[in-house]
Amino acid sequence: MIGITRDVIDAGSMIEAAKKPGMGALVTFCGVVRDDGGVERMELEVYEEVAIRELEAIRDEAMQKYAIESVDIVHRVGSLSVGETILLIIVGAGHRKEAFAACEHIIDRLKQTVPIWKKEFYRDGERWVPGEAGGQE
Amino acid sequence: MKIRVKAFARFREILGSDLALDLSDGATMAAVLTTLRDRAGDEGDAIFDETGTLRTHVILMRNGRRVNRKELDTLVLADGDEVALFPPVAGG
Repeated sequence: MIGITRDVIDAGSMIEAAKKPGMGALVTFCGVVRDDGGVERMELEVYEEVAIRELEAIRDEAMQKYAIESVDIVHRVGSLSVGETILLIIVGAGHRKEAFAACEHIIDRLKQTVPIWKKEFYRDGERWVPGEAGGQE
Repeated sequence: MKIRVKAFARFREILGSDLALDLSDGATMAAVLTTLRDRAGDEGDAIFDETGTLRTHVILMRNGRRVNRKELDTLVLADGDEVALFPPVAGG
């Protein structure tokens, strides 16, 4: 499943749903709101149509490049508190090594290309989290 | 013709999230940017440099596809097109 959600992400049920008989390994990446120098909450916004398309492209690329069986990616947007799950990636594979490699590849690509932004809110201020290189050709 | 402009993150705070521009037929992407620069006023410094050129880190899209900087003056828009501009992404 590829998705953008405004609801709480239930990692346990997503992992159970991703399991298939041929899989010996499911590697997950769970991104969480961190208390970074007094962050109280975070607001995330998305260019949804483009974000979904980019996530699908990242999944398809990973499926081609690695010997894996499935990729699920759900990214949350809206207002999140410290400790809440921002993102869950689940890679299912026959064996763990390919699943770990694919999962790392997916999160690295996601941070480069998927149009989502975060604003951190502190007790006495706020700031947009700077993105990774993103300029254009 | 009508062009829809979507701006995100810091740029949304400057331009608004969803603008409808009414431009003459045959308008180019450069014309859209000029309109946005005028609308942004002093706050536009985050998007445009002192010469009025789009800053290098700004990402520009037409109908969900990236636009190359070399095309700004030659890319003619069509009625109903959606233009998006945003800063580098920071998801995950």
